[in-house]
Amino acid sequence: MNAPIRDWAEVREIRRAADETWWVELDSPAIAGRARPGQFVMVGLGVEQVAAPFLPRPFSVGLAGPDRTVGLLLREFGAGTRRLARLRDGDRVLLLGPLGQAFSVSSDRPVVCIAGGVGLAPFLFLAAEQRKLGRQVRLLYGERTADRVFSSELIEELTGVAPIIYTEDGSAGHQGLVLAGIRPEEEPALLACGPTPMLQAVARLAIEHGLPLQVSVEEHMGCGIGTCQGCVVRSASGEWIKSCTEGPVFDARELSWPT
Amino acid sequence: MADLTQRLFGTQWQSPVLLASGTCGYGEEYAELIPLDEIGGIVTKAVSLEPRSGNPPHRVSETPGGMINAIGLQNVGLAAFIREKLPWLRDNLVRARVLINVVGHTEDEFEAVVAGLDGEDGFLGFEINVSCPNVKDGTLFGTDPAGLAGLVATLRRATARPLVVKLTPNVPDIGLYARICEENGADGLSTINTFPGMLIDVGKRRPVIGNVSGGVSGPAILPMGVYLTWRARQSSSLPILGIGGIRSSDDALQYILAGASLVQIGTALFVDPEVAVAVHRGVEAYCTESETPLRELVGGVQIPDRD
Ligand SMILES: Cc1cc2nc3c(=O)[nH]c(=O)nc-3n(C[C@H](O)[C@H](O)[C@H](O)COP(=O)(O)OP(=O)(O)OC[C@H]3O[C@@H](n4cnc5c(N)ncnc54)[C@H](O)[C@@H]3O)c2cc1C
Ligand SMILES: Cc1cc2nc3c(=O)[nH]c(=O)nc-3n(C[C@H](O)[C@H](O)[C@H](O)COP(=O)(O)O)c2cc1C
Ligand code: FES
Repeated sequence: MNAPIRDWAEVREIRRAADETWWVELDSPAIAGRARPGQFVMVGLGVEQVAAPFLPRPFSVGLAGPDRTVGLLLREFGAGTRRLARLRDGDRVLLLGPLGQAFSVSSDRPVVCIAGGVGLAPFLFLAAEQRKLGRQVRLLYGERTADRVFSSELIEELTGVAPIIYTEDGSAGHQGLVLAGIRPEEEPALLACGPTPMLQAVARLAIEHGLPLQVSVEEHMGCGIGTCQGCVVRSASGEWIKSCTEGPVFDARELSWPT
Repeated sequence: MADLTQRLFGTQWQSPVLLASGTCGYGEEYAELIPLDEIGGIVTKAVSLEPRSGNPPHRVSETPGGMINAIGLQNVGLAAFIREKLPWLRDNLVRARVLINVVGHTEDEFEAVVAGLDGEDGFLGFEINVSCPNVKDGTLFGTDPAGLAGLVATLRRATARPLVVKLTPNVPDIGLYARICEENGADGLSTINTFPGMLIDVGKRRPVIGNVSGGVSGPAILPMGVYLTWRARQSSSLPILGIGGIRSSDDALQYILAGASLVQIGTALFVDPEVAVAVHRGVEAYCTESETPLRELVGGVQIPDRD
């Protein structure tokens, strides 16, 4: 495994992409050059200040651009992400990355990405790469309501893929949960990233239909590099395993899913 | 030229800066990010006799000016530590010193870990953790004078290596515990471990931490750590490793002036791994500017007369 890179990166651009949701481009050629879809970076502000975020926050690499930038999809959640959302062009953040395991994609099955909320981020990167290789990707993307939906023009601009959008109230795209977009009979390889209840539902469906599934999980993190044991999730055999180094992308069969 | 060298625990130290237990794994994870062999050393994650699986998530979260953690001493256990972790430390760290953080449920368990490691190569000595707030019996020995006396005396018989005891801040008078360690043959003290704390998610009306409570660390605890280091210094002449909230050389110097010979950095490593070297360089610059060797700064705080 390549060692992670520590890099003070300049914000090249931050633009609003939906309600409380931002697309951030950071100038970090070293990290952009090494990142793979599914990997993440820790984003912090250094030790000189102690306001949130004091601990760096994990973010999926949303794109590692040809112009050597790292793109992040940033949604305001608590104090730390609200502060990061106030970054301006030219500000600097301390990055550590790329970290963790990437999605693995092979060409022998159609790939279906199932994104819930900011779980969209790694699939922007993945879809853009797959498109470049001339492969088809179905990108199913769910949000609660229309105002939360990450601009589909921006998604197409970044990836070349048109997302299939679902909202719970039907205010944008199809009404319902993203799950409805999965067509098991096509025997797709499923990739999922989003809230835990969504991952559980996708896992049930994958098991029922015998479909391969990789999930990207979220857990609170300290170090991001495997030293603090802070970020554990339960493995299929009942052990606590580190999501920062063994994940965040897991084969769904490696994890334990409540029944 | 600044002189940062000290002779402590029977060995030469090139730097006063160590990485704190539980925040640097077993060294290897930070090898590419921190030039470990340029700093004072590292203290490993706790090692127990049997592997421990640890607490349910969430195990960590940010708190104002720091963090709370309840890892629950998850570790690979003595046998796997010797097999899988110690060889790397032995082969890769030459000038940096290694202390192994040791935990146990009982005196016998502490003794078995110390005895089991004593004959191995690749480390200098032990840091005895009687101060973990995140497991049921974690501070049992650290808050019971008689228990602590017995434990230290037993471990003293089990090893001739440096024996440092890591104290909990969660006692009315840390001086008492410092004296007990000294009287029973310890070689040094680490002050301090985390403070017990709790964080509640008001939306969910539930504790954030899976273990309900956890240990608070980071800049928020700096003044308490400095004070308790100073208090321990008043009661004991053992060398002290100062810990708690260090993220700059000024922070480290506060501990040193309060009485610490060495310091450890924990939480701040998560924010920026380069902090360890930055603190070392800053202390070096301070010694150069004040034309004072580091060892003469230890305990050098001047307390004005109060009448
Ligand atoms: C691998 C990974 C990838 C992620 N990718 C993205 C992304 O691309 N875009 C995005 O907007 N968000 C992403 N997140 C979630 C993001 O890290 C959290 O929203 C953020 O940490 C919340 O911080 P806060 O201060 O705003 O929230 P607070 O709730 O105030 O944070 C308090 C503490 O809880 C932790 N925390 C709270 N929620 C989460 C969470 N969901 N995941 C991890 N830690 C949490 C924080 O790190 C902090 O230590 C990702 C999380 C992980 C683990
Ligand atoms: C995630 C985490 C894990 C820790 N694990 C241990 C441990 O195994 N043994 C121990 O003695 N102290 C442990 N500590 C305590 C630290 O070594 C240190 O005493 C404390 O965090 C205060 O220093 P800081 O403010 O620089 O972090 C841990 C701290 C953290 C944050
Ligand atoms: S975040 Fe520290 S081990 Fe995963």
